[in-house]
Amino acid sequence: MAGPSTTTPPTGGVLESLSNDLAGAVDRAGQSVVAIHARRRIPASGVHWRPGIIVAAHHTIQREEDITIALADGSTVAATLAGRDPSTDLAVLKVDEAKVPVASLADASAIRVGALVLALGRPGTAVTASLGVISTVGGEWRTWHGGTIDRFVRLDLSIYDGFSGGPLVDAGGRVLGVNTSGLSRGAALAIPVATVNRVVDQLVKTGRVARGYLGLGMQAVRLPASLVEKLSLPNDIGLMVVSAEPGGPGDKAGILIGDVLIAVAEKPVGDAADVLSLLGGDQIGKTLATGIIRAGESKNVSITIGERPREPRDARGARRGR
Amino acid sequence: MIDAPIGPLGSELEALASTLRRSVVEVRTRGAGAGSGIIWSATGLIVTNAHVARTEHATVVLWDGRELDGTVTAHDPRRDLATIAIDPGKVTLTAAAIGHPTDLRTGDVVVALGHPWGITGALALGIVHAVETRRGAPRWIRADIRLAPGNSGGPLADARGRVVGVNTLIAGGLGVAVPTTTVSRFLDQVEARRTRSGYRAA
Repeated sequence: MAGPSTTTPPTGGVLESLSNDLAGAVDRAGQSVVAIHARRRIPASGVHWRPGIIVAAHHTIQREEDITIALADGSTVAATLAGRDPSTDLAVLKVDEAKVPVASLADASAIRVGALVLALGRPGTAVTASLGVISTVGGEWRTWHGGTIDRFVRLDLSIYDGFSGGPLVDAGGRVLGVNTSGLSRGAALAIPVATVNRVVDQLVKTGRVARGYLGLGMQAVRLPASLVEKLSLPNDIGLMVVSAEPGGPGDKAGILIGDVLIAVAEKPVGDAADVLSLLGGDQIGKTLATGIIRAGESKNVSITIGERPREPRDARGARRGR
Repeated sequence: MIDAPIGPLGSELEALASTLRRSVVEVRTRGAGAGSGIIWSATGLIVTNAHVARTEHATVVLWDGRELDGTVTAHDPRRDLATIAIDPGKVTLTAAAIGHPTDLRTGDVVVALGHPWGITGALALGIVHAVETRRGAPRWIRADIRLAPGNSGGPLADARGRVVGVNTLIAGGLGVAVPTTTVSRFLDQVEARRTRSGYRAA
C-alpha cells in the first residue's frame, strides 16, 4: 500500500496575508461597532461615530424608550434617541459613556467600484462580517422618502439580519459609510460618510432634519393634446393633485384635488421628484410660484413652503430592511 | 488598502484549489444525491456528514474520477458526522492537511471545495462570519460563503488550504461548518468504542 501522503501548505502567501489584513480590519473596526437593542427579535447594529454619539439605521429603531447598547468591551449602556431622519434612514443615539474607540473614517476617494470591502455588524455579542466589493458608485441621489444622499454606493455583499446600521469598512478597517437594506427594497446600499456627518450634525443640534413640505399628493398625468395646444404648454405631462393635507401649505394656498401642476418656480414639472428637489430644509418659509390647470384654464398660485411634520409613530420602522 | 498584487493572489488560489481538490471526494449513496467527503488519512478514512452517508455502503469518487467502494463505519446524526472506510489498494490517497479552528478570527479568508448541485470540484471563496463557541471550544463556524447542496461533507479550509471544518448546512444565507476539533473528538470516540468492543475493520 502507498504510504501516507499529506501536503503541508506553505506559509507566508498573499492569500494568508489577505486573510490577516481582513481579520485585522474586522478586529480594529469592530471596536466601534455596537449592538442596538431597540426592537423585538434580534438587535441591530450601530457605529460609535463621535464620542458618545452612536449612528444607527432609522428603520431598526422600533421603540424610543428603554434602548440599550452593547459595546465591544462587553458592557451595556443605556441610550437615548437624539433624533431620526427617515428620509436617509439614519438615527442618532446618545450614550453617557462609551469606553470604546470611535470609528476611524476613510477619505471619500476610497469609494471606488471594485474596492474590496467588509460589512460589519453586531447582531448579538460578537462582531460578524461579510466580504464583497463596491459594485456601483453614482452621484447624489434622492431616496423615495425625499432624503438626499451624497453618492449612490451599491454593494455586492450580503447584508445579514441585524447588519443595517453597521459600518462599511475598507481592508484597512476605515469606515466608508453606514450600510442599510432599508432604502432600496432590501438591496445593500451604503450611506457615505459625508451624508452621515451632515445628518448627525442636524440631528444632534435640533433632533430632526427639517424638510420642506407642500402637503400635496401628486400623480403624473398626460394632458390632452387639445389642452396643450390651447394653453401653449411646453410639454404634455403634469402632476395631478390626488390628495391635499387639510391645513397644509397647498390647502392654505387654495389648491384643490384635481388641479394639475404644470410648472413650479418657473420650471415645468413632470415628476414628483421635480417638486421634491425644490423642498430642501433651507427652503422652508419661501414662496413657490406654481402654475396649475383647473377646469381647462391655467392659473397661478403662490404656495408657502411649510415644514414637513414628523411621521406618525406607527409608520416608523415599518419598511423592509435588516 | 491591500498591497498584494492580484496576479499572485489568483495563482495562489488556483494552487490551493488543485491541492485541496485531491483530498476531496464525492460520496454517492443509493437513493440520495451526491455529497462531498474529506480524505482524512491516506489509509482510506473518509469523513463526511451523517446526512450524506445514510446507507451502509457508499461509492467514493476520487478527484481523478476513479470510483472505490466504501463502507460506512460510523454515523453520528447528532454531530452530523460519519466515516467511510475505503480500501485504496494501489491508489495513493492524499490526506487533507488539518488546521486549527480555534485560531480562526472573524474576517479570515476561507474556501470551500465540493460538488454543489453535482458540479465536481467547485471552489467557493469567502470569510469567517463568526465562530460560535461553547465553553470556550468552537461549536460552529459560520462563513460568509456561497454554498449549495452537494457541498455537504466537504471541507471548509483556511487561507493555506488547511481544513478547519466540514460544511454541513446553509442557514440564513451563511455556510455552517462543523469544526475539525469536533471531528477529532468524534474520531477519538469511534476509536475508543472500536477498541472496547474488540471490533476490527476488515
